[in-house]
Amino acid sequence: MATRDNQAQSFGSRLVQVGFLIAVLVLWYLATTRWGVNRLLLPNPVAVWQQLLDVLRSGEYLPDLRVTLTELVIAFALAMTSGTIVGFFVSRRHSTIRVFDPLFAAIYSIPIIMFLPLYVLFFGLGPASKIALGATISFFPIVLSTIAGFGNVDRTLVTAARSMGASDFHLFRYVLVPGALPVILSGLRMGFTIALLSIIGSETIASLAGLGHHIVQLAEGMDMARMFAYIAFVVVIAALLNGLVSFLEARGRRWA
Amino acid sequence: MSAQAFLLRHPGVVRLGVVLLLLLIWEIAARWLIDPMFISPPSRVLASLGSVWQTPGVPAALRLTFFELAVAFAIAVVLGLSIGLAVGLQPFTRRSLMPIILLIYGLPQITILPIFILFFGIGAPSKIAFGVTHGTFPIIIAVVAGLQNIKPILLTSARSMGANRWHILRWVIFPHMIPSFFSGMRLGMTGVLLGVLLAELYVSTAGIGHFTTLFTENFDPTKLFGLVAMLAAMAIVLNEMVRRAELRFSRWR
Amino acid sequence: MTAGDLAVRVQNVSHQFGEPGDVQHVRALLDTSLDIKRGELLCLIGPSGCGKSTLLNVIGGLMRPSGGTVEVTGKPVRGPRPHDIAFVFQENALFPWNTVIENIRLGMLFQGVPKSEHEPRARQSLEAVGLTEFANHYPSQLSGGMRQRAALARALSLQTGILLMDEPFGALDEQTRMILGEDLSVLLSRTEKTIVFVTHSLGEAVFLADRVAVFSARPGTIKKIISVDEPHPRKPDFVTSEKFTTLRNELYALLHDEIRKTVTASSAGGLA
Repeated sequence: MATRDNQAQSFGSRLVQVGFLIAVLVLWYLATTRWGVNRLLLPNPVAVWQQLLDVLRSGEYLPDLRVTLTELVIAFALAMTSGTIVGFFVSRRHSTIRVFDPLFAAIYSIPIIMFLPLYVLFFGLGPASKIALGATISFFPIVLSTIAGFGNVDRTLVTAARSMGASDFHLFRYVLVPGALPVILSGLRMGFTIALLSIIGSETIASLAGLGHHIVQLAEGMDMARMFAYIAFVVVIAALLNGLVSFLEARGRRWA
Repeated sequence: MSAQAFLLRHPGVVRLGVVLLLLLIWEIAARWLIDPMFISPPSRVLASLGSVWQTPGVPAALRLTFFELAVAFAIAVVLGLSIGLAVGLQPFTRRSLMPIILLIYGLPQITILPIFILFFGIGAPSKIAFGVTHGTFPIIIAVVAGLQNIKPILLTSARSMGANRWHILRWVIFPHMIPSFFSGMRLGMTGVLLGVLLAELYVSTAGIGHFTTLFTENFDPTKLFGLVAMLAAMAIVLNEMVRRAELRFSRWR
Repeated sequence: MTAGDLAVRVQNVSHQFGEPGDVQHVRALLDTSLDIKRGELLCLIGPSGCGKSTLLNVIGGLMRPSGGTVEVTGKPVRGPRPHDIAFVFQENALFPWNTVIENIRLGMLFQGVPKSEHEPRARQSLEAVGLTEFANHYPSQLSGGMRQRAALARALSLQTGILLMDEPFGALDEQTRMILGEDLSVLLSRTEKTIVFVTHSLGEAVFLADRVAVFSARPGTIKKIISVDEPHPRKPDFVTSEKFTTLRNELYALLHDEIRKTVTASSAGGLA
């Protein structure tokens, strides 16, 4: 039918996308070499590339990466544990869902990162404040999706299992968890992503170490090429981590 | 009435109760359990709101922040709607450009905050710009989504009654997109809030960031809590306004 | 039959979806011819997939047939004819974001009716279908039967000579169908419209139609046309009369084998 047309269209779309990327790179190069855009504002792409290779070779990113990843792992672990446990218990009764779900949703709708100064005041400029804030922000998508996941398990399935004599544990392990898992996993993925973003954000605003902090240092030193390189590096790290988490989410769904 | 039934009938009341309970815990912890250098009880914060407001420069900084939020949101809506329409009305542009848009949206924009400040300075323009980049994408995505999946029977019916292309655009496609557009605006407002506030906090030499840094360095939790509470109130009010607008335009659902 | 009496002339219309050899190839209609008189109500009835809806869309200009021609009021059909033909679909085709009366006004806007006539015509057609109090309701606030009344009001307000109805009551329950059928008969006895009505229901066909065209299984063609010689408006007790039963039985006999053929064909997993 229209499959031949479809193929032609997809090819055309791909062409536009590749063309776009190439155009961006070309414009960037021209802007810095031919059109005299100030090197203090926009570094030469070739210089950025060289700086990136240097950063990777020298391994100077390692201490910052370690700090950021440690903060991320601890923050996410805290959020995941508290979020799923609280979410599960809230989901058990309609009454608690109706009380707490809108409350969590309302808090989540404002940028919680604005509370960073309070966390810095309390925990200091070190990793503790980043971890605490990251865990706080990451808590909400996890608890909301856990409530939604367990709350929306088909009641008919529960009734059927009970009628066959399922114990509380059986019910939990074989009906509730598999039923809720897709939604919970998606919430965990979102929680992870948002934990990463908030940690990099907190490091950018108020920190002594970490990837976000390093970018700020380079900015203050006006080392534009190296800063761009670092940003590219962080973007790639973030993409890899997000990719990993999406992969785990897909795997997790199949296990259920 | 059993406890459960009460909870079900009056969830709002219970929610208020939960909030009050948390405030109480905060009050007790701050007064007797934790060093007053790091935390301040809500009673004191409330009482000192006036002195925060009277700190020279604070009202101006808050007003400026509000201005930045409003302008960034307006720009994000206009940009989001126009780009969304330009991309979403034709299947070819949608298929070519949406992946690019989604890719850019997926990048951690926080990493380029220092660049924005370097480019646009420490004043309002950089905060507005950073807010716009956060708020535009959800709106574009929502508009494009709203232009799709129109029930074919509606298009057939309009055609059978003699509608021309302009009629269909104006009376079928556009109204179909509106609810999605409003929900996109709600997410856009969340994005604008995030972008503007991040930028404000980052710049420690002017605006809100100056005062948060000042109060933190002086270990003045009372004033810091007060200032942040005012920002939170601003965020809640703006969010609520957009949410109400969304409800108003979804009456037919 | 002179040309002046003819509202619609269908000549050797056939239609296929896709090309032979495509996985999705379907021969929907095979060499169908039909003359529809002005002012009559003709029912198209047949098993699922026999092409009756396809024929309706072809007559209405929503589809160009693979073969054959259609003339409406003497002129060949090349696309939608909003001034001559109005549709009522089975699926809810009211715009959900507009109220009932807004929906009706929009139809007139599309057709090109002068603004001054919008309000009077809308009021008139709402009254004709009995929805005057619901003018400012949204479709989501109405029952299925009321929505179809609204769709009919919209079609009526366009004041076309021909009304094409594609199983308009198909999604409704039996009782609503009965009421709407009776109301439709009363309504149409007052107008002089030509109506082509697609249905699955034998009883509905006999109750409403002046003539019933019976389709064969896919690829569909008209097997036989039966006349129902009974004046409009049809009274409710027509349904229990002997004439009704005889006609209904005749339809049943004609259709039963075709329906069987269709069901066996689809369960064998084959497409035409």
